[in-house]
Amino acid sequence: MPASACLEMRSIGMRYGEGAQAVQALSEIDLDIKEHEFVTIVGPSGCGKSTLLYLVGGFLRPSSGSLCLRGRPITGPGSDRGIVFQRYSLFPWLTVRSNIGYGLDEQGVARAERNRIVDEYVRLVHLQGFEDRYPRELSGGMQQRVALAQTLACQPDILLMDEPFGALDAQTRRILQDEVRRIWRQGAKTVLFVTHDVEEAVALGTRIVVMAARPGRIKEVLERGFDVADGEEFETNSAFAALKLHIWRSVKAEVEAAHA
Amino acid sequence: MKAFPVVKIIPLLLLLAAWQAASVLGLLPASVLPPFSDVAVSLGAMLRSGELMANTLASFARAGAGFFIAAIVGVAVGLLMARRRAVERAIEPILLLIYPVPKPAMIPLFMVWLGIGDASKVAVIALACLLPIVIATFNGARGVDPMLIWSAQARGTSERRLLWRVVLPAALPQIAAGVRTAIAIAIIVLVSSEFISSEAGLGYLIFSYGGVGADDAMLAVVIYLAALGFLLDRFYLAGLRRLMSWHAFAH
Repeated sequence: MPASACLEMRSIGMRYGEGAQAVQALSEIDLDIKEHEFVTIVGPSGCGKSTLLYLVGGFLRPSSGSLCLRGRPITGPGSDRGIVFQRYSLFPWLTVRSNIGYGLDEQGVARAERNRIVDEYVRLVHLQGFEDRYPRELSGGMQQRVALAQTLACQPDILLMDEPFGALDAQTRRILQDEVRRIWRQGAKTVLFVTHDVEEAVALGTRIVVMAARPGRIKEVLERGFDVADGEEFETNSAFAALKLHIWRSVKAEVEAAHA
Repeated sequence: MKAFPVVKIIPLLLLLAAWQAASVLGLLPASVLPPFSDVAVSLGAMLRSGELMANTLASFARAGAGFFIAAIVGVAVGLLMARRRAVERAIEPILLLIYPVPKPAMIPLFMVWLGIGDASKVAVIALACLLPIVIATFNGARGVDPMLIWSAQARGTSERRLLWRVVLPAALPQIAAGVRTAIAIAIIVLVSSEFISSEAGLGYLIFSYGGVGADDAMLAVVIYLAALGFLLDRFYLAGLRRLMSWHAFAH
């Protein structure tokens, strides 16, 4: 596997609607994501960051430009791109075990192998003892653990995350951020992670994409340049604080421009 | 089953007591309404003789057949309408046309087509039950969050399997509500259809006893039918709670 581009986006544009009502959601997006990279996309609401993720997922088609995953054009959704949404990733009528095994069932994995993989992912996200619960019986944080396990069990080439921890309380969010980073490090998956939380973007991304709104476009791309350890109290890290402040100012300028 | 609170029965008992008192005190002539005690005696006699049971079975066969046809066709049509624009365009005008028609008004026409036997009764019950099931299924399937569908697609679910694996289960809570309405409608249309021509059934009993002026027996069947409908609804809800324990039902 070449360590070059896993995902290539070439001058992507996205328009909604027609005529005078048309909205340019995305304009001239060029972005390459390498194998094993953890890229976070941060920007004000309405900057099209989620739209960009849905284009990579193949749920939406771009109005112009092209997207390629490992050299193949993206033409629709597929199990090579796993996605975790803020909500609605899980099937409420399936237990934790059946949710995690869902993708494996769809791909026709044999029963014994499927059960082995499900157990492995239940352990990976620390949900032992909750296998037979339904999603509504779990806390928001546990539901997102299940969603993560469900997605990873399909063995996608790239993990897409759409503000996955946006609805969680601060403590739970921090714990799950550490989990995602740990899983990324262990499995060295490629991750594309959308968030509106600047701290989250810096805590997770080895590369951080800052977007501007109206039309949604890439404002700047920043290499983090330092490592963040799992469970690290990055509040005491001056490089972290400096980068966070820089990005915060960059995003704030966009929010203020939007309200002007 | 969630226990039915005893306190809810009190207004019913008071109403029956008032009915009985009015009859005993001579305020309510038997020609207007026979005393409740007479109705209760008739009910007991019809239960013992097996008359009610035999006619219940005849009625349930008709209502059940019509209802099940409607459930299967209704869910299939509702799902396809929600997912295929062409099916929606083809079916929706027909539904809008049929919707306001009182279904028992169709009975004479169905009799011309299907004869005066059970087939015409089953057909009119099926037609009447079909609409709430199609509409509930359509709304339920249309309302499925697109992210749930995307989530399934990103886990390898094909468009064909999507209907069965995601859209149907996600729409089940609303389908279940439509089915509950359909059960009540099945009983109403059943009784109407049995008024018109039949040799057995609860509607037939009500019509025949009413025709010969046996008001106590007629009312006994009406009360029996009400109790049956109530129990059916309770059993349906209890079964639903067991089958759909994953869903948080608003009680």
